[in-house]
Amino acid sequence: MNEATSEIVMFQVGARVFAAVVHDAVRIETLRELTAGEIVVESALGMPFARARGIVVAGEAQGIERTLVVDNIIGIRSIPESDVHPLPAFAAACLSSGAVTGFVILDEAPMLLVDLPTLVRERSGAAACDTTPERP
Amino acid sequence: MADRRVDPRADSPGHGSGPEAWFFCLRLLGGRYAFEAPLVTEVVRLGPLTRLPAAPSFLPGVFTHRGEVLPVLDIGQLVGHSAVPIRPSTRAAIVHCGPWKVAVVSEAVEGLVAIPRRNLEPPPSESSGVAEFLSAVARDADGPIAILDLPRLVETARSRAVPAGSGHA
Repeated sequence: MNEATSEIVMFQVGARVFAAVVHDAVRIETLRELTAGEIVVESALGMPFARARGIVVAGEAQGIERTLVVDNIIGIRSIPESDVHPLPAFAAACLSSGAVTGFVILDEAPMLLVDLPTLVRERSGAAACDTTPERP
Repeated sequence: MADRRVDPRADSPGHGSGPEAWFFCLRLLGGRYAFEAPLVTEVVRLGPLTRLPAAPSFLPGVFTHRGEVLPVLDIGQLVGHSAVPIRPSTRAAIVHCGPWKVAVVSEAVEGLVAIPRRNLEPPPSESSGVAEFLSAVARDADGPIAILDLPRLVETARSRAVPAGSGHA
């Protein structure tokens, strides 16, 4: 019997690696050709250091795209649905971001699962123009 | 990772009208703190914590236990004290408070204590820090114990957190 699976993209922001559902990403790019108004640098996940790659996400309006700046794309992986867990209720009620939706268990360790559209929507206004390196 | 199962419901005469009340006692903030024993389901040694972005200080992270992801509550941080040090030997009591299931991290676990009801006294009238969450104070052979109203404490923690979508992300 085949178990249902989810495809996730794993990406790095700062020192941490996060996961997101592949379908939430329109494409993955380098940042060279992007204009400042389209990018989200600082998010609830923190500030990327190298800012080498961008995950393009569909915006709230049709035809609008926003790019989450990340340090690195680790890869895409298929995982069993049974390894996807929602955020514990108490944690979900306490976080100031709605973008962290749960965990995927990889190698017996939980990796945060992020809702990319929510993440960029939360931060798109505040961080769109931030292109200066702020901290190591 | 599990240290032991706690089933105070099975022998908890103190939760009714018996002469003794049963509490679960932890060492926190340099003192002895306890809460109603039936709230505790298990005592575990904390595994590696996964820290959460955008989390308040009293929620230092989550860990996996028997395939379940559990949030960790640091009462010290909630009441404005320093954080409980989290080491490989750190233990936590898994508690159910209404809809919330959390692991209350501690400096050490004492376990179940029985206190004669007549020895329970009203808490001090202070309304700051951990005193805000005390329901009673008592003393046994090992010294004073502060009884926490844990459901109120957990609910207060939740309400003090900035909820998602409030514009403070």
